[in-house]
Amino acid sequence: MEGTASALKRSLRRVQGFLAGLTLAGALSVGAEAIHVVIPAGPGGGLDGTARESGRVLRDLGLVESVSFENLSGGGGGRAMGWFMENAGRHDFPLLVNSSPLIVRSLHGLFPYSFRDLTPVAALIADYGVFVVAADAPKTGWEATLARLREDPRAIVVGGGSVRGSLDHIVLALALEAGGIDPRQVRYLPYDGGGKAMLALLGGEVAMLSTGLGETMPFIEAGEVWPLAVTSPERIPGLDTPTLTELGYPVAFANWRGMFGAREMPAEDRSRAIDWFRSLRASREWQEVLARRGWATLDHDGEDYTRFLEQQEEQLRTTMQALGFVR
Amino acid sequence: MWEGIITGLATALDPGNLAWVAFGCLAGTFIGMMPGLGPITAIALMIPVSYSMEPAAGLIMMAGVYYGAVFGGSTSSILINAPGVASTVATSFDGYPMARRGQAGRALALAAFASFGGGTFGALALMLFATSLASLAMQFQSPEYTLVLVFALSSIAAFAERGKVLASLISALAGLMLGTVGTDPSAGIQRFTFGRADLADGIGFVLLAMATFALAEAFHMLVRGDSEPVPDRVGKRVRLHAGDARAIAPTVGRSSVLGFLVGVLPGAGATLASFFAYDLQKRFRRGDEADAARGVAAPESANNAACTGSFVPLLTLGIPGSGTTAVLLGVMLSYGIQPGPRLLETEPAVFWGVIVSMYLGNLVLLALNLPLIPWLSRIIHLKRRVLIPFVVAFSLLGVYLTSLNPFDVFLMLGFAIAACALRLNGFPMAPLLLGFILSPMLEENLRRTLLLSDGTLGVFVGAPLTIALLAACFLVWAVPATRLLGALRSRNASRRRT
Repeated sequence: MEGTASALKRSLRRVQGFLAGLTLAGALSVGAEAIHVVIPAGPGGGLDGTARESGRVLRDLGLVESVSFENLSGGGGGRAMGWFMENAGRHDFPLLVNSSPLIVRSLHGLFPYSFRDLTPVAALIADYGVFVVAADAPKTGWEATLARLREDPRAIVVGGGSVRGSLDHIVLALALEAGGIDPRQVRYLPYDGGGKAMLALLGGEVAMLSTGLGETMPFIEAGEVWPLAVTSPERIPGLDTPTLTELGYPVAFANWRGMFGAREMPAEDRSRAIDWFRSLRASREWQEVLARRGWATLDHDGEDYTRFLEQQEEQLRTTMQALGFVR
Repeated sequence: MWEGIITGLATALDPGNLAWVAFGCLAGTFIGMMPGLGPITAIALMIPVSYSMEPAAGLIMMAGVYYGAVFGGSTSSILINAPGVASTVATSFDGYPMARRGQAGRALALAAFASFGGGTFGALALMLFATSLASLAMQFQSPEYTLVLVFALSSIAAFAERGKVLASLISALAGLMLGTVGTDPSAGIQRFTFGRADLADGIGFVLLAMATFALAEAFHMLVRGDSEPVPDRVGKRVRLHAGDARAIAPTVGRSSVLGFLVGVLPGAGATLASFFAYDLQKRFRRGDEADAARGVAAPESANNAACTGSFVPLLTLGIPGSGTTAVLLGVMLSYGIQPGPRLLETEPAVFWGVIVSMYLGNLVLLALNLPLIPWLSRIIHLKRRVLIPFVVAFSLLGVYLTSLNPFDVFLMLGFAIAACALRLNGFPMAPLLLGFILSPMLEENLRRTLLLSDGTLGVFVGAPLTIALLAACFLVWAVPATRLLGALRSRNASRRRT
């Protein structure tokens, strides 16, 4: 019953959106598009959520006519990249959603692609890194943690939700290096996903966790874990945790999630897509999604996005070299 | 708490929601029957449908899809020896031979009732003990997991036929080795891939399961020229044999408790649970006709109870313990529901609604599927010249559809031929598949343990829990080890005499 009601509501909204779109189209002479979003991960995760939620809002706002999705997991995202580069032309308006691990994996040489094989359109979401300890650990702060590690780098075992040399490990290394500690000396234990790493922290197998703020927020709010420092450039609203920058370590890092077009994407298509995502960010619907999901927004479009990616690539390359993962 | 249960019941019994759970069960069963499509895929396929639904209705439908898919997987396991998901591998051990003997309907009915029993127990246990069991999940850290997995490997001893302990061990070792192909779980580098991107994610479970079970069985039928299967005596109606219910009741009880507890542990809950339950069942075997019935009931009730158990860490800690609950977490987050310690306070209707609807899912599933069984079991009565091509097409298609990669099809054919040759030479395939399933988890946990302990093995005797687990492993191996040593000694003795 409710399903029908909401379907009805949705189609009403679509009619509304269509009318709004029609007005817009009349003004800007923009035709409604059928976009196709390729997702380099299975359903249910952050990338999948980013693609489906933003696609839904684009459609509800009447900016696009329809949205289809395709989950292509495998090869650490390499399979989706390869498929997208070869077959993007089959669709009217192909888009690919991706995130920071794209840069990490291309630096690792796991696949022969990089963001330069794509056309950056818009960054949408930032997930900052956070270092947390169990709630019953002494709340001495990030400085004290660094002091202990400076004395004995093996004193604290740090867990993370991904393999050595991937994002959780690299963000830890960034922070340690800024604090004058050789990241290679500190023990990092990889777990199969952030959930299992969290369980290891709660169960006491590791003393600290390097992880993403988004999936950790509920545990912080519930008082299960205690955050020491975050990697955002400025304080997170509603979170009483210092940033590394204000502690005197100029390190800021965001795991971005954003949209790309194919390399041969026409310039006019790109600027149209950029306009869509700008309207998306300004919409109430998208603000609701961000609040509901606990996501932080990230505003980089077009060439600005490309520069942001280049900077992050440089930052990651330096740290991965320090860790010995890249020559 | 009772107030919560009643709220949940009221939510779940809403006619609209009831319709959704029925729809979910049916969709789940059919998706789960497809080769290679398990609960994860079934739920993932339904995500777009769920986005437009109210949270309660969406979650209730997903509960139906989940149980439907688990049951659907058992169907192909029993009828054509094609376990589409790891948790139904153990079901095929006794279920497929039963079907070949002309008792397909009985085996399917046993599976349905045992699943229902396991699910019922699971839902009750979840209602009563969810919050107190959450700490159990935290007791198990890398050393404990390593030993649990070693113990699981030990269950090979249970399904190794008499005198085949050595062959089973060799099989299991081959499985462990196949499991190391792909990306190193610790360092993230690729190994044993021959530089092929097709192997970067390792060998797929569906691929190996279809190759070593369904395809190898089809080839085996061709090579050996098996007789036609006996027609089902039950005919169009499903009826359990007299005394079946009483015979399987203790098994279902034991397996449900075991399954639920194993399911609480994050990791491969349902799979481990089904193997443990089968192993335990073999130790209680009586040597009568109902042993095979119990052999089907044990893994089926255990894997269903474990599926419910896997909701304990999800609902109470907010941590998904299995791939399926991870996808479900995604569905919940898309509704703005954050499972975790505070879910019970902030969203009691959702918390109890999920639990009650899971139970309801079990009930609806039983009601929907019993009438389907006679139709399904007709598959086994197909003549060999129809059945074999059907099984081959079913397996090839299933593997191709999961990856859309033709390389996988050739790889599977290669494995199937090798598996057939190994079977003809007396090497059982079940230990190979078990070793393959456990290999990545075992490696990951063992390496983490050794990183923590600086490479010393002392951690395994460091705590009461690890000592107990270690003792259990030794006990399990004591009997087959002495048997093996005895066999070797007598062989040597006879050799010396000649």
